[in-house]
Amino acid sequence: MFHKLKISNLRQPIADATTVTFDVPNRLYDAFNYYPGQHLIIKFQVNGKEARRSYSLNSSPFRDEPLEITVKKVKGGLVSNYVNGQLKIGDELEVMVPQGRFYADIKKEEYKTYYLFAAGSGITPILSILKSVLYEAVESRIHLLYGNTHQDSIIFKEELDALEQAFPNRLQVVHTLSNPKVWSTWEQWKGRKGRIDEAAVEWFINQHPPIAQTTSYFICGPGAMNTGIRKALMGLDVPRELIHIEQFGGTKADDNHTIDSVDNASLEVHINGQTHSLKIPKGKTILQVMKDANTQAPYSCESGVCGTCACTLVSGTVEMKSNMALEDKDLKKGLILSCQSLATSESIVIRF
Amino acid sequence: MPILPVEAYTSQEWFDKEQEIIFGNSWQYAGLMEDIQDPGDYITVQCGHQNIVIVKGRDQKLRAFHNLCRHRGTQLLRAVGKKQKALTCPYHDWTYNLSGELISVPEKEKEFPDLELDKICLHKASVDIWRGMLWVHPKPNAEPITEWFKGCREQMGPHDPTRLIEYPDSSYEKVINANWKIVAENFMDVYHLAHLHSNTLQMYDHANAKFGFIGDHYMFWEPHVPKYKDNLDQLMPFKRIKEMTDEYLGAFVPWLFPNFGLSETESSWSTFHAIPLGPDKTKVVVRTKLEPMTNWEYQKQSMKSYNSWHGIMGSDTKYGNQDPDDPMATGDFMAEDVYACEQQQKSLKNPLFNVTMTAKYGESTIRTFQGIIKKWMEQ
Repeated sequence: MFHKLKISNLRQPIADATTVTFDVPNRLYDAFNYYPGQHLIIKFQVNGKEARRSYSLNSSPFRDEPLEITVKKVKGGLVSNYVNGQLKIGDELEVMVPQGRFYADIKKEEYKTYYLFAAGSGITPILSILKSVLYEAVESRIHLLYGNTHQDSIIFKEELDALEQAFPNRLQVVHTLSNPKVWSTWEQWKGRKGRIDEAAVEWFINQHPPIAQTTSYFICGPGAMNTGIRKALMGLDVPRELIHIEQFGGTKADDNHTIDSVDNASLEVHINGQTHSLKIPKGKTILQVMKDANTQAPYSCESGVCGTCACTLVSGTVEMKSNMALEDKDLKKGLILSCQSLATSESIVIRF
Repeated sequence: MPILPVEAYTSQEWFDKEQEIIFGNSWQYAGLMEDIQDPGDYITVQCGHQNIVIVKGRDQKLRAFHNLCRHRGTQLLRAVGKKQKALTCPYHDWTYNLSGELISVPEKEKEFPDLELDKICLHKASVDIWRGMLWVHPKPNAEPITEWFKGCREQMGPHDPTRLIEYPDSSYEKVINANWKIVAENFMDVYHLAHLHSNTLQMYDHANAKFGFIGDHYMFWEPHVPKYKDNLDQLMPFKRIKEMTDEYLGAFVPWLFPNFGLSETESSWSTFHAIPLGPDKTKVVVRTKLEPMTNWEYQKQSMKSYNSWHGIMGSDTKYGNQDPDDPMATGDFMAEDVYACEQQQKSLKNPLFNVTMTAKYGESTIRTFQGIIKKWMEQ
């Protein structure tokens, strides 16, 4: 269910990004409580068309601060350009309550070391976790490795600097730039250069041995970086269950990956004790076909995030444009997200 | 009246029960964090009846395992090791990775065709780092070390031991012929400071000591006497520790339950680990860390202290003119304590042994400590 929330503030942490502050009315306070790392699904009306997107909260539920998301401008991005330019203070957006399985369950009395990895706007859920740990779990410590293109693309640089100064024994931030600008600042970049690849992860862990011996690893960045970091960590014997991953920038379409889907595949849907036989035109998702045919398909975010539309693939093959809801074990069981699935075989059978 | 019976200090049965109940269920000191530097380095430590190995993994994380092979229970590793790739039992070469998982068994196909390697892991214990020290707990899911020491940090010295340097040859190891609780009680006995140590710890103003318990842990601080404080730069034996600003001056001397003491002064930071070996035997290991300084600075300060001491503090040892081998004539407060503890232990077997009374304030700490032991043993 979506709730109308008013925008109480807009600011630009860097030139290419906008932080949006929401005003949550008292009656929705409890509903909008969240774990650090979770996201909002927001319905936008852009040029008369509806578009849904999910954005991680960068605010912390442990601070007395309003809900905030931060949207980085993407070239040709419909919603990101709308937020970075057209959205105004006082506007209302339709927002679903916070959700998502990528979060830190922080306990006041815990004594832990957090290893955080972020690239670009992947910093948003990471910042929420970071602030929450600093202010709530006062014995725990954090090491953050934060990758960006160049000096001017580091979102929340000032805020991170200030936190590092305020908590010198508990927070260490290492910036790494893949393509530092020579002339953008007075001083030449003296920090680390390069992307967050496997070598960088190994270097980072070796440079920052934990004091508190209970550890957690949180990663948010583009898919390839995430898998690379996980691989590097597991190569160092970090148990898989301690590694939490969130992919941002979602859809594979952004990575110039097009799915070669089948035209006019047949679809058999088993739902609520009924069976429907439908056809899937090329490029349409299973959910779109079901909505067009007025079958009562469950769905919510339509962006591969919430998992409401998950169903079991009984036979045939599909490819998902994006998947942030299902984990490997779900995929192994044959679960798919109908809102993201394009047919890659002639005949498909699914069951809800 | 004493709270614990004499047997608590003399019987093997009591000792074994303590090992199981207290030492099998509490966080215990295991060393300094720099004792384990690199992935594959390990140390072993005795926690009651259980020997525990702490090893650093390739993820730079410490892991603690009970030091026994899952095959037939042989002790897996000896003392200390460096840069091991894996942990191998000497008996039949069963090999575990640094996460404690069994990775290879010789002649597996022939001898253990049904053994599933990935189902076997060394028994886990807990390990953590707190104030630059290693701590182990024999149980795998121990409460956080910060909960165990909750409220203690604020009552202890401001020293950051991770910054201090262990001075070469400063460590001291001695087997004392006394029960570990006699050693602990001696450490907590405020009443004896002005008497047994009248000429060795006379730089402290014992009458103004502040002490008490936080949970099961004993906290203690006492200021310097004015004569020492006013001439601190002359008298202190080593370079002043940076965190020991004027407001903290004096000595913090806590006893962390069950068997670990600290002595945190203006110029040194020492650990005091009392390891129970038997009902009447305790090994004490003392290690000292100092503010980083050059050899020249070290020599200069200790010379200055040595040369000024007699003139300002005007002391002789308690029984100065007697036999130089007499522990009471060494001028070393540790030797005085060892002597007192051993004499106390000896008397426990005397049929006339009896405690008439204990001091209202200065020995209240001993009564509290015995009460804590009783509580643990009866739970």
